[in-house]
Amino acid sequence: MMMTMRRFLALGTLLLATLALGGCGYNDFQRLDEQTKAAWSEVLNQYQRRADLVPNIVATVKGEANFEQETLTRVVEARAKATAIQVTPETLNNPEAFNKFQQAQGELSGALSRLMVVSERYPTLQANQGFRDLRVTLEGTENRITVARNRYIQTVQDYNVLARSFPTNLTAMAFSYTPKPSFTVANEAQISVPPTVDFGASKAKP
Amino acid sequence: MPLARIRRALIAILFIAITPFCAWTQGTLQPIPPLSGHVIDQTGTLSTADTQALESQLAALEQTRGAQVVVLMVASTAPEDIAAYANRVGNQWKIGRRDVGDGVLVLVAKNDRKMRIEVAKALEGAIPDIAAARIIDSAMKPRFQQNDYAGGLSAAATQLAARIGAEALPPPPEAGHTPQGINDHSFFDWTDFAIFLFFGVMVAGPLARSIFGSALGGLLVGGGVGVLAFVFTASLLLSIGAGVIALLYTWIFGGSSAPVALGQGGGTSGSWGHGGSGGGYSGSSSSDSGGFSSGGGGDFGGGGASGDW
Repeated sequence: MMMTMRRFLALGTLLLATLALGGCGYNDFQRLDEQTKAAWSEVLNQYQRRADLVPNIVATVKGEANFEQETLTRVVEARAKATAIQVTPETLNNPEAFNKFQQAQGELSGALSRLMVVSERYPTLQANQGFRDLRVTLEGTENRITVARNRYIQTVQDYNVLARSFPTNLTAMAFSYTPKPSFTVANEAQISVPPTVDFGASKAKP
Repeated sequence: MPLARIRRALIAILFIAITPFCAWTQGTLQPIPPLSGHVIDQTGTLSTADTQALESQLAALEQTRGAQVVVLMVASTAPEDIAAYANRVGNQWKIGRRDVGDGVLVLVAKNDRKMRIEVAKALEGAIPDIAAARIIDSAMKPRFQQNDYAGGLSAAATQLAARIGAEALPPPPEAGHTPQGINDHSFFDWTDFAIFLFFGVMVAGPLARSIFGSALGGLLVGGGVGVLAFVFTASLLLSIGAGVIALLYTWIFGGSSAPVALGQGGGTSGSWGHGGSGGGYSGSSSSDSGGFSSGGGGDFGGGGASGDW
């Protein structure tokens, strides 16, 4: 009798131990949650770096006489829009706000790349050392944004897998850890169409 | 019979559907070559003498300053952008000392006629993007245009070394000794191990006692814990200590109730957790034929500049 009791006790402890060790993954949630926050901060950091860079680029380009005004105003507007969005840590848990943020930044990306393409048509601008440096810095910043976004996507993936796979999703439910939103391609429909190449008569505007 | 035929047809369709996909996924990205030295030329452009001169130039930099600069020449980075490929290579190799992370990757995609200097985060202060672009424009581009790849790379290495030399980096550990290879300190979690032993002894102790009797059970548990600790920590003293504690625990507290066991077990767990951090895996992979190996500390965040010629 005493023997079986002890065995039951031992088995119970074993069960408890396994659950406590790997089962509920509470600590994993804490670790990955912090990781996603850090990765997100890095993304914001790099976007901020780009936003800080834009006024310099605009000022340099403005110095160029008769630069295409429309492109320039679009960049300024996109930057204003992107920086107007308040980003808080809660943005991460709010897919709608996240999408809005992503869209605004995407618009700025589009406007900036358009500006860079247009600037190719101005030889004096291309010869300007200050502008070339800004261009390099912008390129570097865009690269950093890409890397930061990739890392964020990776950590969010880890987090979401944990929040959704079996034993740990119970913990996620108990503490209400919902899957976090991730970056998507903004123009999915556009890039899934193969590009049309036309070497025909009309010289396309860059 | 028709059923079997249908099944065969379905399998065939599945294969047809899958095969191009497999080929596509395999063909997507350029493979990352193994890190075999400071200079890796996959295009066969540099002569042996050039490679050796460049290699010794970069090795000298590593010995005096500790920073790892690696030159990689590939034919093409397609379909990736050169920046994306360079970042992937850098983060896979993790060149740069483990605790400093000072690595630079000079990548030349010969057929694309593009080059890139990818700078690890630790050196972004010493080599900002603009400086990297200047090095590309002044040292590499004009020489590459005249097919003088060795000269361009050597000039770039000189300028990089000058910039790295101006930065106040921690000195290399000792002259004539390349940094240690990657030690996987992190792959084994000491806290988990300590917790595992703690619960393991708590569970196995009473079980072994009830099955084998108190004396033999204690010996078995003690021996088992000792062997386990030795396997994982490779420290004889630590494992003997762990074994003796487990043995005493099983002998003395194996028969009593859980609360007492918990109180006592806490002490043992603490001692293991403590000892665990003392042991380690250091030196297990440092004897890497004395050649070049990555420091394993470089974190590439997309810094650097690209150019073409």
